[in-house]
Amino acid sequence: MLKNIQEWVLLLGIFGVVALAGNWIGYEILPTSAIPGMLILIGICLVGLILGDVLPGSLPSIAYVALVGVLLSMPWMPGSEYIVSATSEVELLALTTPILAYAGIAIGRSWTDFVKLGWRSIVVAVCVMLGTFLGSALIAEAILTFQGII
Amino acid sequence: MKQQLTNIWKDWRLHAIVLAIVLLTETIGTHSFNVGPGVVLLLPMLYAIIIGLALFFTPVIKEKQSKNAEPLIVLGVTVLIAKIGVIIGPSLPQIIEAGPALLLQEFGNLGTILIALPVAVWLGLKRESIGMAHSVAREPNVGLIMDKYGFNSPEGRGVMAIYIFGTVFGAVFMGVISGFLATWTPLHPLSFAMASGIGSGSMMAAASGSLVAAFPGMENDILAFAGASNLLSLSTGLYMSIFIGLPLTERLYQLMTKKKNNTSVRKGA
Repeated sequence: MLKNIQEWVLLLGIFGVVALAGNWIGYEILPTSAIPGMLILIGICLVGLILGDVLPGSLPSIAYVALVGVLLSMPWMPGSEYIVSATSEVELLALTTPILAYAGIAIGRSWTDFVKLGWRSIVVAVCVMLGTFLGSALIAEAILTFQGII
Repeated sequence: MKQQLTNIWKDWRLHAIVLAIVLLTETIGTHSFNVGPGVVLLLPMLYAIIIGLALFFTPVIKEKQSKNAEPLIVLGVTVLIAKIGVIIGPSLPQIIEAGPALLLQEFGNLGTILIALPVAVWLGLKRESIGMAHSVAREPNVGLIMDKYGFNSPEGRGVMAIYIFGTVFGAVFMGVISGFLATWTPLHPLSFAMASGIGSGSMMAAASGSLVAAFPGMENDILAFAGASNLLSLSTGLYMSIFIGLPLTERLYQLMTKKKNNTSVRKGA
């Protein structure tokens, strides 16, 4: 467990440094103003990961991470204003770029499997994704309009 | 997280390469071009996944780096989820207000079946179509199909095909079509924001990221709705497939192949 936490801290730290560099270059936010937000995010991750390990039940750690984040930042929580303003210095897109860079390197290994699939699978896969995206958007549109939210 | 993380942080080659990719892609920045009435957005993350994949086929990346990258995706997504958590928190009042739409749009995921199943059957795919079309084929659904039909079944091959496509191209594809559809169709960006949450962190990030780039004024609402919808998809998606998606796909498949068999019999006669 302790060893796990140590690894998590190191890896989250490396990820944080890379993301802060992208945050600086791409979104012109100086690391000095983004470091507190990044530390808060990493702290939330650690609490969630530890809860996922310690608590009984089969909920994935990510569910706890999200829950901790929501609880700390909801308007009824004291100190939430600081959490929200500090973490807003870390751009969402600055986090996705390194994730997808690692993803690109990792999926190289399944590339040959993918090439074997053939073109019919690609056509169906495109329909699968379009189907769920458009289906959800149409229902959301209808209900948000009905409720008068949009 | 059960996998062995030992000493991945020591793989400086991997982290230096990713840092270089990030610096390069963020310097290039976001570009967009018009296709007819819609806008296609090219975001740094899209270049990043393509450069990463391209480097895999050069000596720069070895098998070891590629393996070590996997846990970092998981931890990176964890940071992303924490960020989404602190975006959802302040918007909790609006999310509760939009609760009915959020809950009901989960049924939109069944749109997959209505569009993809007929196409799969029409292309001549057999029971593979069931695995392919029953859901958006993320990890829980792959587990479900493996559990029910087995790894070496046609259904299993089908779901793996879509899973691999989603893993390789899902984020790129969702990033491009969400920006395009949101600018081209009359539907509201917030509807697309809810639709972005299909149960995959990277696809949700790509789809909602494109929406934010296209509608910067609505950034917080878009990310909050997309994040909430993604969490809902992650938690309800499996049950949706077990109780509605998969039985519906089976039924429709039987209906469609029955009709098809009849026509082919007639043609044969």
